[in-house]
Amino acid sequence: MHDNTLQDHAALEMRDAAAGYGERLVFEGLDLSVARGRVTALCGPNGCGKSTVLRAMRAMLPLRAGAVHLDGDPLENWKPRALARRIAMLSQSPSAPEEMTVVDLVRLGRYAHRRRFGRPGAEDRETVAAALAATSIEDLSDRPIGTLSGGQMQRVWIAMVIAQAAPVILLDEPTNHLDIAHALDTLSLVRKLSHEEGKTVVVVLHDLNLAARFADDIVFVREGKVASAGPVGRVFHAENIEQVFGIHCRVLHDEETDRPFCIPLAAKGG
Amino acid sequence: MTGVTVIAEPRPKTRNGTALLIGLAVVLLLSALLGLGIGSSSMTLERLLLAVIGQGAQTDELIIWTLRAPRVLLSGLAGMTLALAGLLLQRATRNPLAAPSVLGITDGAALGAVGFLFLFSNESNSLTVSIYWQPLAAACGAAVFAVLVAVLAKGAARGPVSLILHGFALGKLAQAGVTMLMIVGPVYRANQAATWLAGSVHQARWIDVAIISVLLAAIVPVVLLLARRMDQLLLDDASAEASGLPVMQTQALLLALAVVLTAAAVSFVGAIGFVGLIAPHAARLLLGTRALPVMIGTAFIGAVLVVLADVVVRYLFAPFEVPTGAVTALIGAPYFLYILFRSGRAHA
Repeated sequence: MHDNTLQDHAALEMRDAAAGYGERLVFEGLDLSVARGRVTALCGPNGCGKSTVLRAMRAMLPLRAGAVHLDGDPLENWKPRALARRIAMLSQSPSAPEEMTVVDLVRLGRYAHRRRFGRPGAEDRETVAAALAATSIEDLSDRPIGTLSGGQMQRVWIAMVIAQAAPVILLDEPTNHLDIAHALDTLSLVRKLSHEEGKTVVVVLHDLNLAARFADDIVFVREGKVASAGPVGRVFHAENIEQVFGIHCRVLHDEETDRPFCIPLAAKGG
Repeated sequence: MTGVTVIAEPRPKTRNGTALLIGLAVVLLLSALLGLGIGSSSMTLERLLLAVIGQGAQTDELIIWTLRAPRVLLSGLAGMTLALAGLLLQRATRNPLAAPSVLGITDGAALGAVGFLFLFSNESNSLTVSIYWQPLAAACGAAVFAVLVAVLAKGAARGPVSLILHGFALGKLAQAGVTMLMIVGPVYRANQAATWLAGSVHQARWIDVAIISVLLAAIVPVVLLLARRMDQLLLDDASAEASGLPVMQTQALLLALAVVLTAAAVSFVGAIGFVGLIAPHAARLLLGTRALPVMIGTAFIGAVLVVLADVVVRYLFAPFEVPTGAVTALIGAPYFLYILFRSGRAHA
């Protein structure tokens, strides 16, 4: 059965899925599969539905049709805590009270693992400590989050996601409010998580060159449809990008990183 | 970099929650003693303590045990109840301005309670059903108004002030209902119903203390079990959901518990305002963000507030029976304005 062969490598799979807000369907008839243990970037112009796809992958948005399968099981079969143990997600603009300390916030990532009552167990404490170490924020652990800079704060949120210890991580524009240094920093960390710990990562990115630099696979989304999808080397070329973003561009190859990059030239018909 | 050894700075110790909670409990105990000692005939501490343990003069014991003890206990319990209701509402809505009185839930409960008196009184002004159904009527009134606020504010523009405006408008509606029922209802009920508009512990009886104790004993364990969920709810909706919390279900649960708590308090002491607003803020200031210590602290502070407000009423305004709610409002309303002023940048 083709289901089984897919299950072997796809961590998350959307089949003929449709979802939207109110009257408006953002996507319809969407098929998408996310390869296990790789970094997949969702790219596309504003409003193309990439964030909506991500929300649907985490059952945050009811599907109007089709299904999302996690490890071969439709999402509606997963209970909230069980699902959270398999998928962690960082939304676009997360928030928490300013006086909450870093370690308290990171510990909130353990909710799905902790015993219902009682203090955090040894495993919880170790995982939180490891998450603080992985994001190099041990020194900040007792600081109220209101005193942190944007870049530090992003590390804290990523530490919370790591503390959730889920094999699949979804990130919605994690570099949005960051300058280039912090954006690179964040994405290197994400890449490390995938390559060293085998996490499956899906990340919404609107910066094409960051996607080309850090992702293994790219899914180009346009008007609620998958325009093209596959390994960066195969889909990141001028023709695809011109079609998806409505621009003229040139794609070159950087020898040192062995990665393509895009030079935007002009908007089509502009 | 040169080989400078960086000596790790000692980390600031996390605030000692247990010590603070014990401190609050002591303050509560002292407030209660003050509440017992002060009145039309003030007692020395020695006379007071003797009377409390049953070794005092007979009149002292009568004053303490029949008049003052139920009043002090009822004040404390009602304060706890309202304060907890406020905390649950602030956490459920993530709105620092939320409180039972601010969201119109106290007024809804008052309308339920007065409506009950109105509906079930016969021509000779006596109740046709047991008075013990009154808390249920108050709960129904509170629930109707809580659901109305939740539904209306959900549909409207988001933001902390929008919710408050809806609550305010609905609260006024309920107050208008109470006023009308008082005017068209039996005259002697009017006096009694006035209680629910301002909040007062004048008519405290042991049976009231017993009922509210039983209600609290049933609800508080449930509230304590929700501490972990309330911690998760400090996150925004999407992050809380992603961490495995059923957000809507938790919010509905907290709202329902707040309604029951508010109704319980309002049935017995009326709409003592702003306790549910101030107590959680004070607790958060002292104890930080973790729900469990904050809950316990909130309950203690709420109790202290109402007990002391009642002391003020009896000491400063005797022989006039100024409603306790007027005193709490005197502190609460300016504080509310202060948070409203700040709420542009505040985060619950």
